[in-house]
Amino acid sequence: MERKKSFSMNYYLRYLIFGCVMALLPLLTNAGILKTSWIGIIGGTIIYTIAGLGLNLLLGWSGLISLGTAGFMGLGAYISAYVTGDLGLPFEVGILLAVLIPLVFGILIGLASLRMEGLYLGIVTLCVSEVLRKTFDELEPVTGGFSGKQANFPTLLGIFKLNQQSTYIFLVVIMVLLMMLTYNLANGQLGRALNAMRGSQVAAQAMGVSLLKYRLIAFSLATAFASLSGALYVHFIRFVYPSTWTLPVSLVIMALIVIGGLRSVFGTFIGALIVYAMPDLVLKNIPVIGDINGLSYVLSGVLIIIVVLFYPGGVINLFYKLHSVITGGGKKKAALPQTGEEQESMEETHE
Amino acid sequence: MSELNNVSGKEEILRIENLSINFGGLKAVDDLSFSIMENEIFGLIGPNGAGKTTVFNCITQFYRPTAGRVLFKTAQGETENLVGQPVHSIIRKGLVRTFQNVELINELSIMDNVLVGAHMDFKASGFEQALRLPRARREEKQIREKAYEVLQFMGIAGLAYELVGGQPYGVRKKVEMARTLMCSPKLIILDEPAAGLNDVETQQLSESIYQVRDKYGCTILLVEHDMRLVMSVCDRICAISFGKFLACGTPAEIQKDPAVQEAYLGEKEDSES
Amino acid sequence: MSTLLQLLLRSLETGAIYALATLGIIIVFRTNLMINFAQGVMGMFGTYIVTFMFQKVLFVKSTEAGLAQQPALLLSILVGVIGAIAIGFIVDIVVIRRTKKVAGIGKEIITLGMMMIFLGVTPMVFGVDPMRLPKVIESGEFTIGGANLSYNSLLNILIGIGLTVALFLILQKTKLGLAIRTTASNERTARLMGVPTKWVTLFAWALALVLGTLAGVMIAPSTSVTLNLMDSVQVNAFIACVLGGFQTFYGPVIGAYIIAIASNLLAYYVSSVWGTQILYVMVIIFIVFKPVGLVGKKITKKV
Repeated sequence: MERKKSFSMNYYLRYLIFGCVMALLPLLTNAGILKTSWIGIIGGTIIYTIAGLGLNLLLGWSGLISLGTAGFMGLGAYISAYVTGDLGLPFEVGILLAVLIPLVFGILIGLASLRMEGLYLGIVTLCVSEVLRKTFDELEPVTGGFSGKQANFPTLLGIFKLNQQSTYIFLVVIMVLLMMLTYNLANGQLGRALNAMRGSQVAAQAMGVSLLKYRLIAFSLATAFASLSGALYVHFIRFVYPSTWTLPVSLVIMALIVIGGLRSVFGTFIGALIVYAMPDLVLKNIPVIGDINGLSYVLSGVLIIIVVLFYPGGVINLFYKLHSVITGGGKKKAALPQTGEEQESMEETHE
Repeated sequence: MSELNNVSGKEEILRIENLSINFGGLKAVDDLSFSIMENEIFGLIGPNGAGKTTVFNCITQFYRPTAGRVLFKTAQGETENLVGQPVHSIIRKGLVRTFQNVELINELSIMDNVLVGAHMDFKASGFEQALRLPRARREEKQIREKAYEVLQFMGIAGLAYELVGGQPYGVRKKVEMARTLMCSPKLIILDEPAAGLNDVETQQLSESIYQVRDKYGCTILLVEHDMRLVMSVCDRICAISFGKFLACGTPAEIQKDPAVQEAYLGEKEDSES
Repeated sequence: MSTLLQLLLRSLETGAIYALATLGIIIVFRTNLMINFAQGVMGMFGTYIVTFMFQKVLFVKSTEAGLAQQPALLLSILVGVIGAIAIGFIVDIVVIRRTKKVAGIGKEIITLGMMMIFLGVTPMVFGVDPMRLPKVIESGEFTIGGANLSYNSLLNILIGIGLTVALFLILQKTKLGLAIRTTASNERTARLMGVPTKWVTLFAWALALVLGTLAGVMIAPSTSVTLNLMDSVQVNAFIACVLGGFQTFYGPVIGAYIIAIASNLLAYYVSSVWGTQILYVMVIIFIVFKPVGLVGKKITKKV
């Protein structure tokens, strides 16, 4: 019981420790232990994780399909680049607008989603994403057209000019905060309402869940996360092309939450690590195989199929199973990773 | 709006007035009226395709009735016509239902499924939930305790943290019942609660229906095919056929009613020929 | 008038390409109840086979032998079609048969996994350099009502219409078509009634690959053969599916031709820059008001 309790108490701590470990990366690269390219790759992973968290709320928890993630990421990126660059406004304003403007589209899609069923919704969101992408191509005064658009590393509060490493730390902080928020939301009333909506729309309504309200919330959150991740992308990579934001990006984000684990916060990060970072960090360093073009795609693809067919809970479930094997008999935790903490605290109150 | 009647000391909690609904010209429910008293166990019976579930769906607003009124004495003590109100607002008034094909969330624990029933009791905003501010935590704790009590009452507290997905049908039915109890309902509508249960489970069910009524002080309306259950558990019964009212009365009265016998056994001339 | 005719003729050619890709999506959807996001890359892969055969093998051989390139090209297409059928079989046997029990969106995600595999395998097998594929009928055009039409475009239009009609005849008149339609309406019941649903899905995937490949071969001469050869075709085919509705075979084909005609007309008469966006927004609005598409009825869940 003691050990269990210690595990359940440090639930914020777990995210903080995770954040600290992630923040150590620049030290390791400065010390020459890891290559400096790691910063860029793990930073990219973080950006994908953020968009993935949003899509997980939508697809994992609410069971609503969106293929529009790429479009909203791009929109966030261009807005922030334009506001901070062309208009010369502070970074914070750029981020704010980059989240608020796409949010309007997100709410509109949420409204439209009430009228259609799953697959149609997927393709309508794809439509929206394509409209946005083509607009990036054509709206040259704002987006720079085909030649792309530049942006700078963030300047926080107008004083702290960040470089690549400190921007990376900034990304880690944002990601950890969003992970905590997502965890809290997903395991409270809101998360249950989203779950109920996915499980059975009729039962959800009978239990007082307003489909309109919660679909709007789900789409708003997914859009906000996606556009925020796009805005962070442009200030981290410092460049954005219209051709980046095509269907494959949306699909990769969908893939990473499935591989990592639907309805799992840590799973989203692990999925991003596997799909986004693993090819660059691991595969390319293996002799001979690493030089083969497209191998990473093949491996991701095979992994997706294997996970969906044989491990529907995602890779994160393997971790929980492993954990329960090590700690012995934590069977419930393996079955229900997301609500692990509450379960135990409840058991304690009633035992 | 006319008030609900007060008949010999007992008050009406739900009155259906001239309820009708058409599906593309077909009258699924035709000018149906009946009323349910407070604290009563009321049965709605009828042959297959009589429109029982349609009546349910009209009461809970899943279907919009073509005509008629559904008067309900809400938890707030006011009489309201439910027709035209949003589906998700019905539970707020103290009216909650179960489903014929148990509608639960398989990927969640029994506890979480039951907590969904308390959706309306949460006052903390999404913002407070996201940051786990004191009110959100307090509410979560209180409601979890309530859920645990309900699960104990239903006799499935030991399974509280098991996934719903792998549970046998009998347990799933209990989970659905527990979920309805979470919102402190005035009227619970049970849609074929005994369907798919074996004899022992049906026996348990009739006991728990009494217990629910006595402990939670609510009224129960049920649609059921299992005649033994209906006849043994219900105070009064309304029989319908092809969406039309046949008879309403105590189980004994219903059993004797010629119109009901005819509907169930077919017309005399038919059976002879 | 001749401009309009010209536009319509061009739309018929684009429409033929969209229609083939759309039919590939819909035949898989109806028999497997899954949206195949890999349809585009499958067509791309088939086109790569054709192009590779032509450029690296047959074209070289035929020039050595002093022959014209047409027979080599046709032979390459034949090889591509056979290859497509083989890949369709492999996809069905290795992956799709195991997905029967996968719930919800899992099936779509599997096609996404296949998409990634195709995207990865293509450069491994065929290299990274873009390739070119010539038209089947190299040159020559004729004038009709003031509009010019190349023989190759005419061929594409005819293939599009011909294959669509042939497919509908198969669906409506043959035993195989009956098997497909019963599988489409209820796979389980069909299986219990003795319909060989395994063969039906095998056929469906092979057909989807072939249709995709042909669409790819049609569009390839106007661009170069790269990994994103079919991207815009795929997006338009999906949109055609929702526009026409997923519930019938003919709805999406109508949708495909509408998309092709509307995008050409909008691009010419309204705006060459904003035409596509306007079209997509119009489709979205249409879907909001008619969520099941042009042809189809709403299915409500009974409670």
